[in-house]
Amino acid sequence: MQPSRLLLLAALGAAAPALAQQPAAGEAKSLRTTIAMCQGCHGIPDYRTAYPDVYHVPKLGGQSAKYLEAALNAYKSGQRRHPSMRGIAAGLNDKEIAEIAAYYSGSGK
Amino acid sequence: MKRWIVMVAAIAAAGAAHAAGNPGAGKKKAEAVCAACHGADGAKPTAPENPILAGQHYDYLVKALKDYKSGKRENPVMKGFAAALSAQDIEDLAAWFASQKSGLTVKR
Repeated sequence: MQPSRLLLLAALGAAAPALAQQPAAGEAKSLRTTIAMCQGCHGIPDYRTAYPDVYHVPKLGGQSAKYLEAALNAYKSGQRRHPSMRGIAAGLNDKEIAEIAAYYSGSGK
Repeated sequence: MKRWIVMVAAIAAAGAAHAAGNPGAGKKKAEAVCAACHGADGAKPTAPENPILAGQHYDYLVKALKDYKSGKRENPVMKGFAAALSAQDIEDLAAWFASQKSGLTVKR
C-alpha cells in the first residue's frame, strides 16, 4: 500500500472517534465545547481558508451579535454556502447560535 | 542583473496594487454607497444587523462583495449595491474598510 493511502486511513481513523463523540443536535453542549469548533479557524491570527477559495477567515471578536446570529442561521439554512461553515452551523441549535454570537460580540462572557 | 531587479520590482508593484486596492478611492465610494448602513468608516453600523467592516480582513471583504455581486451570497440589499461595483471598486472599498480602526479582533 502506498504511504499516502496509509496516511489517509490513519487520518480517517483519528477523525472517527471525534465524530462519534459529538452530541446529537439539540443536546446541550457547554459554551466551551461549542466555541472549540470555531477556534480552530477563527481563533488563529492570519488563518486562511483552504477550500474552496483561499482568503482570511473573518475576524469575529467585537462583531455585532445580531449579525453573527444572522450569519450562522444563513449557513444553517444553506443560504450562505461555505462548505465548512454549513457543516458546523447545521449542528447548532438556536440557543448555541445565540451563545456563540454573544461570546464573540463581547455582549456575553 | 539590472534587468532582473526591474523585473522583480515590476512584479512586486503589480502584486501590491492587485492585493491592496486604493483606500482613498474606496473612501469616496464608501461615503456614497456604504455609509448609510455601515457607517462611513465601517466601524459604527447604523443598525445591529449590519456588520462592522472596519478592520476586517481585506481579502474576506473582497470575497464577500464578489459573492454578493455574483449572487453566490444571497442578500437582497447587498446584491443591489454590489451589482453596481466594478472589480476595482470592490478592491478599493475592501482596502478602505480593512485599513480603518474598530474593535474587531481575532478572538479565541
